[in-house]
Amino acid sequence: MMAQGEFGVSNDPEINNPNRFSEQPPPPPMVASEGIIATDITSKFTAATGALKPGELVKDAFFTLFEAVGALEIMDPKMDSGCLAPGESLDEDYDVTRPLQPAQVVGIIDQLLCLEMAWHLGYPLSQTLLTNVYIEAMLMPAPTNLREADFIRNHAEGARPDPMFTVLRAYCLGLLKSCWYVTERIKREHYYEEEDFVTNTYHRSLLDNIDRNEISNEIMAARKIIHQMRHALTDKMAWALDFRLGLRTAFLRTIELSELRSNPDSLSLPWHHMQGVWEQIHNSRQLGTPVPEAFSPKIQRKLASTMPPRPIVQLSFEETSDHFRKLIKDGIEVHEVFKYSDPQSLLNFVLTFQAQKPQPLVYIRTLLQFYLFRDMVILDNLSIRKIIDDDLAIVSMPKHRLLDPVNDVVEAPHDARFAMAHQMELFRQRATQSYLDIFRAFCQNRCRVRRTLCHSIQDWETVQMDAEELDQLLQIQLDEKPINFETGSEGVSSPEAAYSLPLSSWAYLYKLRLMEWIVQLGFELETYQPIEMAGMYWYLAYLAKIRTSHLGRIRSFITHRSNELEPKSSTTRARPSPSGPSFSSSGSPSSSNGGRSDTTASFSSEPQFVRSFAYHRVSTLEAAVTWELADGLSALYTALYRLRLIVPPPRPYSSDSLRYDIRMKPFAPIGLPELPSFETFTEQVTRPRKSIGNLLEIAREAIAGAKMGFEALSKYNENEAFAVGCLGRWTEGAKNGIKSAIAAGLAVAAVKNGIAAAAATAPDEEEEDLDLGNFLQVEVPKPEKAYHKWWIVPKVHVGEKKKT
Amino acid sequence: MATTSTAGHASIGLEKTTTTAAVAGPLGALPGELKYVQYEHSLESAYLPAIRALISKDLSEPYSIYVYRYFLYQWGHLCFMALHPEDSSLVGVIICKLEPHASHSPPTLRGYIAMLAVSAAYRGHGVATALVKKAIDAMAQRNADEIVLETEETNVPAMRLYERLGFLRSKKLHRYYLNGNSAYRLVLLLKRIDPDAAADFALDDGDITPR
Repeated sequence: MMAQGEFGVSNDPEINNPNRFSEQPPPPPMVASEGIIATDITSKFTAATGALKPGELVKDAFFTLFEAVGALEIMDPKMDSGCLAPGESLDEDYDVTRPLQPAQVVGIIDQLLCLEMAWHLGYPLSQTLLTNVYIEAMLMPAPTNLREADFIRNHAEGARPDPMFTVLRAYCLGLLKSCWYVTERIKREHYYEEEDFVTNTYHRSLLDNIDRNEISNEIMAARKIIHQMRHALTDKMAWALDFRLGLRTAFLRTIELSELRSNPDSLSLPWHHMQGVWEQIHNSRQLGTPVPEAFSPKIQRKLASTMPPRPIVQLSFEETSDHFRKLIKDGIEVHEVFKYSDPQSLLNFVLTFQAQKPQPLVYIRTLLQFYLFRDMVILDNLSIRKIIDDDLAIVSMPKHRLLDPVNDVVEAPHDARFAMAHQMELFRQRATQSYLDIFRAFCQNRCRVRRTLCHSIQDWETVQMDAEELDQLLQIQLDEKPINFETGSEGVSSPEAAYSLPLSSWAYLYKLRLMEWIVQLGFELETYQPIEMAGMYWYLAYLAKIRTSHLGRIRSFITHRSNELEPKSSTTRARPSPSGPSFSSSGSPSSSNGGRSDTTASFSSEPQFVRSFAYHRVSTLEAAVTWELADGLSALYTALYRLRLIVPPPRPYSSDSLRYDIRMKPFAPIGLPELPSFETFTEQVTRPRKSIGNLLEIAREAIAGAKMGFEALSKYNENEAFAVGCLGRWTEGAKNGIKSAIAAGLAVAAVKNGIAAAAATAPDEEEEDLDLGNFLQVEVPKPEKAYHKWWIVPKVHVGEKKKT
Repeated sequence: MATTSTAGHASIGLEKTTTTAAVAGPLGALPGELKYVQYEHSLESAYLPAIRALISKDLSEPYSIYVYRYFLYQWGHLCFMALHPEDSSLVGVIICKLEPHASHSPPTLRGYIAMLAVSAAYRGHGVATALVKKAIDAMAQRNADEIVLETEETNVPAMRLYERLGFLRSKKLHRYYLNGNSAYRLVLLLKRIDPDAAADFALDDGDITPR
């Protein structure tokens, strides 16, 4: 009756009647198998279950929901894989030896392309490629060599097989072999089974024991045959078949080259080839004649699976084509990752590559992981130590004594450099995994990226704490003197003596970025309701503001060290500030391009310093525009709530404070920056002392500042942006930021106009009491409708509400 | 390197909110005041077939009888039915469970709305909302700390229903269902989180489904 045997079932004839298709129970089946004696226990079973009360469940403690869901009911056609409708046959009666027209071969191949893509998208083989009768015949029984890998196993001796069979067979060989490679690649990297991809092959071997070169030769031979018959086939048809085989050749070639991982230019060549071939396939799709009977969901019954047959996943050829184009484009672009310049560009490469809509398919995402991490050697020739030291040098430690390779060869234990080398090694051991995990995390699907980051921030919290301990030990070895620096953006001029803490500063910066990404992905994944927007943009602004000020702290120490290294220049002349925008003393952001408080700072011409200051320039500007646009949107949304243009649902079962607990749950364990209390949060978001006019003015100013900042960012070159290899995508992000800021500015203006119009009709009303419903309508767009999925700008429509 | 998704195989993502039109405009008049009845085992023969039929209607993979028994035998008191006032036929049903959530320390008492369905002819009259409220009340009375569920990303009416009651989307679950659709996890917190347990709480991936 079911997979597990822990049950008695209640005696309810309606529910437990296993014979839904007939009134009378059928006679017991004749079980004839050696060593098995069949006994009819129907009456005993019925009597036994009669002793149970309705609803009673006999189960042991190990019978969980999982088992309950896994249990099957025999003779329910949706659960029982062997259940046949009256007159239905178990097997497909398709004859694979029936002659095929060339157009039918094209038709079958095109359908296989659709199914292959559905499989790439995450549907199981059972509902995609393994529904094809030719593939089934080729794989069952499992072929042990190339000759057996054929849907017709018993070719007459010496007879030449039908050329169309040869073509279709070669295609299927290439297809299945590439599926095997794709599955193996995915399985070796980090992915989520059944969420990103189903690796189950249902005990079918995807030709894993057949050599790739043998298969390539078969495809070559088939293409030769097509060439020879091109007159009989017509040129068009010959090309249609040839392109389809050419796609298989090129795809196998991409796989072969990807394993080498070196020489990026040659790696992307077969992908470029595929790109051209795909367009030809697309253009010749009309030549195919569909052969729907060559595909059947019934084949699933033969697979090693308890699941009853499910429908074939049917993508249209147009959808398939779009996905293939995207797959191929990503396959080309992913190889740009080998143009390594620096770790920040690498991070931007991964971030922008994965932020694409739609996100690259799981195969490409695992390919990127493979390129990044194989054998713990980044991009085939960079040690992880080189990457992490490079990153430290850019972010907080340009030309720092702690990063001097000479330290490693000091053998005298009393030498400070010996201790430095030792402590730095401890730090690398502590931080490396967390650092690489950021890259790995962003190679996951977007939902998982966010969930993973929610965990990572706690890890980074401890990395930061451990790093601070090492910083404190190292500052003794370095004989570091504390310096006074102004805590810039806080606006309070309270210089305090402080140490540079370069390692923990580095860790803290990453933690802050991770926290911002969690919030931003929350917008992208439509996790927040319209009524939460003001609060979440406020929190994003809060985090970005802290990051801006933290970058300022790091920069102060770098500037100080650079001055120390070049004492003369620092005292004699002022150099242009390397910094980003400044922040007014009120504590609110403004992107006036003026100098910072330390305009007299100089910086070394030393390339490491130049690079670090360039990094701080772009990072500070990026943090500042995030702060400003988030702050502006928060103020705008708060105004919209107060004007009742966005109305909260009643929510009788919860409170603002309980919802705050849930929403901020990932951030609650973080000590620095501490999650603001609910009261602080409420006060800051609702800004009760600001009038609506004030709020809109704050929004306008911040949004205008953000727009200028995005404009500046959009003009950066790849070195200024630290976007080597990904400048196009990076700039596009900045440009979408500009558009978002423009849209936000328009929304603010529209609200102002609406208020003015409403006030004209009701001059005595306070702003808050105006009934704007007749003048303005607000729509909070879905992320995919926004210019940038992290910037959900409300659409404010002016005019009368449509009567519905 | 595969990580089996803790959110569970799509086929054991149990939540099925067939409230597609539950909050949409009225489709027809209700036949007077519906009766809301808490399930009990003596009602099984009268109502279980109808419950199964109502819930299975929109499921491509119907649950076996054991899934219903699993819930109803252990948490029949958290199952509520909306019945037709005249013939007492089944109009809507909600099925839940409530148990300590294991991966927490200290564990939370977590309610889970497993199934909710309203007969198509009676949607748009707040039947689903009334059933969810009854279930929340029953779970709150039994000291639940939180109530969670998943709903398909495309099921906008269901999300609106839950969000109007106070649920928040806590996370999105990629391709959670067998049809390839993603889901949202919705959470209603009934009590404050113990700050000392916050670390564990945040680490929780909220897997409803047992391993």
